[in-house]
Amino acid sequence: MAVNVEKEIVSIISEVSGFDEDEITSEKNFFKDLEVDSIKAIEITVAIEKKFKVSVRDEDVPKITTVKEAVELVNNLLNQKSSK
Amino acid sequence: MIQTHKDSYDAVIIGAGMGGLVCGCYLAKAGIKVLIAEQHFKPGGYCTSFKRQGFTFDAAAHSFGGYRKDGIVRKVFNDLGIDKKVNITRYDPSDIIITPDYNVTFYADLDKTINDFQSVFPDERDGIRDFFNFIINPDQKFFMRVRNWTFQNLLDNYFKNDKLKSIISFPLLGNGALPPSLMSALIGAKIFQEFLVDGGYYPEGGMQALPDALAEKFKEFGGDLRLSCSVKKIRIKDNMVTGTVMEKNGFIPSKYVISNCDSRQTFLSLIGRSKISNKDFLDTMNNMIPSRSIFILYLGLNNLCTEEVKSGTNIWLLSNYNLDNTYLLQHELNLDNACTMVRFMPNQKALLAFVNVPFRNKKYWDVNKEKVLESFIKRIEEKVFPELTQHIKYKGAATPFTLYKYTLNYKGAAYGWACMPSQLGLPDLRKPSFIQGLYLTGHWTTQGIGIPGVIYSGHDTAKLILRKEQRHTQSVLN
Repeated sequence: MAVNVEKEIVSIISEVSGFDEDEITSEKNFFKDLEVDSIKAIEITVAIEKKFKVSVRDEDVPKITTVKEAVELVNNLLNQKSSK
Repeated sequence: MIQTHKDSYDAVIIGAGMGGLVCGCYLAKAGIKVLIAEQHFKPGGYCTSFKRQGFTFDAAAHSFGGYRKDGIVRKVFNDLGIDKKVNITRYDPSDIIITPDYNVTFYADLDKTINDFQSVFPDERDGIRDFFNFIINPDQKFFMRVRNWTFQNLLDNYFKNDKLKSIISFPLLGNGALPPSLMSALIGAKIFQEFLVDGGYYPEGGMQALPDALAEKFKEFGGDLRLSCSVKKIRIKDNMVTGTVMEKNGFIPSKYVISNCDSRQTFLSLIGRSKISNKDFLDTMNNMIPSRSIFILYLGLNNLCTEEVKSGTNIWLLSNYNLDNTYLLQHELNLDNACTMVRFMPNQKALLAFVNVPFRNKKYWDVNKEKVLESFIKRIEEKVFPELTQHIKYKGAATPFTLYKYTLNYKGAAYGWACMPSQLGLPDLRKPSFIQGLYLTGHWTTQGIGIPGVIYSGHDTAKLILRKEQRHTQSVLN
């Protein structure tokens, strides 16, 4: 099933942060631009894991600070999953 | 603003706990038409006070934190003008931990607290300094990396001495109902910062002053508050809320419903399983563990010599350094081994003390309440205040069933869902992705607990809704 990873991630971030999907562009920094704090960052990670049925390694969680980074990480995880 | 016909609202908030009240105030202040429906006859949830035989007691919440310069509670109270309505005093020291070997004290002056810990544990000097520095200025990204850590993992990162680790964790066992081996590092650090490093604040007149001031402000902002008003149903159509059904007033339509009550009640009773399309979510929630409840002792005292007692300070009695054991033995209700907090209230006429206990049921507490109450008094006499009995003019207690009866918190849980790493930051418990217009706020949202935790949550829920409404307004204008 083809999923539009970016669209889904933007939707998750919109739900957690309250910002409109149009405002959440790929370079926006969660912490600086979208008022995300540690608990919301964890919420975003939990929602991504559930949505894409992947597991984000603890050391990779701090790397998710923009939509772009989140999309890259999820694509990598999905590729690893499909190549298994 | 959005709705216009009579007895309809933009938002209905179920429950006037601190989270619901804060959320309601921000929404009403922004011009949203809001109703708060509370089943009890007074606002506050766990943050209420009551009178018996002329004595005023705080029901459960007995002091608060997060009121430092950039603390969440100070920000919200400033925003809403609560600080103009209530006189808030910081009691110093806020907490003292008494163990078989040492006493350590939390002062308003952080350096003094650090010095106290360092003088008791000189070998851990550097770790103590680093730990407190981390707590007052935590690295947000660090917590993302250690989201699966327990508070024990965090302590192991700083300290070697097991007694020190237990002493630091002890008030968290009381204030969060989990031992360090089970409590999330993030929530543990938050509790340590907000309750202990920045704790000890108290409103003049008792804790009820806080929800009363919020309720008053809410009405000044144009909000409607209905007390003794039970909500029976949250109506959902096509995965979207349409309103609420009140016991007395029937159906009240609204665009948003914000539940400030426990999440099992919200999803299973108020909404109903059949209306929830996401069955995985129901499975997840059914497997979740609520926090333990507490047994609270209330004593009205006379002729108390103010020199003898330190009022406004929380006194913690640690009898066993093995906190896992203390937690497991809570089932036996052996008070000698229990995590106990005792506090002479700032009015110097009353004493409040509590221990964490399992819920059991009404029948159990009907039979055992008096027995537990008497052994609790005996323990306080032995450990804190030998002449206690001769000062007692009134004695009463709240059991887990009492907490349930007044607040409807599932199993009388004192702190919402147990704060374990696996139950942290679950987005569907705050804003379910499968029901439009439904939000939850308060200590069942897995975002944080205690007064700072629920105030954060109430503020956050309002922010989410206001951002949405702003968009709505803008799209109308454009």
